[in-house]
Amino acid sequence: MHEMALMAGVFEIISRYTADFPEKRVTKVTLVVGEMTNAVPEALEAAFEVYANSTNVEGAELVIKEIPLLARCTECGREGRIEKHMFVCPACSSLSMEIKSGRELYVDSLEVD
Amino acid sequence: MEINVNTGILSANDRIAAENKEQFSGHGLLVINIMGSPGAGKTTVLEKTIDILAGSLKLAVIEGDIYTSKDARRIEKHGVPVKQINTGGACHLDAKMVAKALKDFDLDARQLLIIENVGNLVCPVEFNLGEDLKIAVLSITEGDDKPMKYPLLFRESQAVIINKVDLLDFTDVDMDSLKRDIRKINSNIEIFEVSARTGQGIGEWAAWLGQKVNEKKG
Repeated sequence: MHEMALMAGVFEIISRYTADFPEKRVTKVTLVVGEMTNAVPEALEAAFEVYANSTNVEGAELVIKEIPLLARCTECGREGRIEKHMFVCPACSSLSMEIKSGRELYVDSLEVD
Repeated sequence: MEINVNTGILSANDRIAAENKEQFSGHGLLVINIMGSPGAGKTTVLEKTIDILAGSLKLAVIEGDIYTSKDARRIEKHGVPVKQINTGGACHLDAKMVAKALKDFDLDARQLLIIENVGNLVCPVEFNLGEDLKIAVLSITEGDDKPMKYPLLFRESQAVIINKVDLLDFTDVDMDSLKRDIRKINSNIEIFEVSARTGQGIGEWAAWLGQKVNEKKG
């Protein structure tokens, strides 16, 4: 359950970005979470509720954009979705696969009102 | 009003990890972060590794644990400086905890710092500490499905120590298939088959690690 620690990071970022307008409420928080991170969206949602409670973020909508795990074969250049975390090129069977997406873990945007 | 943020959730940790890394490099110190399940044998592997390397290298150890200092007491008996970090409930070490613990060491006098993370296959992986190498410890008694269930640890690690191989005949683990699975997740990973209990394979692992220390010293 390190999602609580991750959410502490999210709320640090929120307070930094909203410091200039303390009178406003945060109505929406958009996170981007890659498929190959150890962050579980449901656990992030639960942690979000805990942190938002009694703050200017309470009641805000949490949007989690999930990014698929994509990799590129360094041997034949084929790029595609990685299934079940097996980094094996479906075209040439090479194991030399570079991750192109799926490791993202960031706060994308906020909406304040 | 929409505010574009585009900031990593772990950016505060990563910033401190980068400071730690700079400090380590300034001292020519190699730092490894050992991760694995509770009971995988991380501390026993570490004790055996210390017995081999302590004669030729100057070591230091940071022990991560939720509440106890049992592991640090075990390491102390091997005559190596050790600092216990109790996370007080948190399932992983973070860069700030390590930065604080570093103040207790004379890093100039050390060549290899071994950080044993909290026993957990999931949470520690995302929190960089400033280490040079991530090392996974997996014991065969946990079953051979663990790499596929917890792939990020194996993808991010430079080496995996498969421990308790002395018990292989008592399990249903197919070692070749286990190693194949690990290589499908990370084809560059070094794999060491060891038994910390009998000492089997610890020499090869320790020699590899000693080589990495020498490379870091430059």
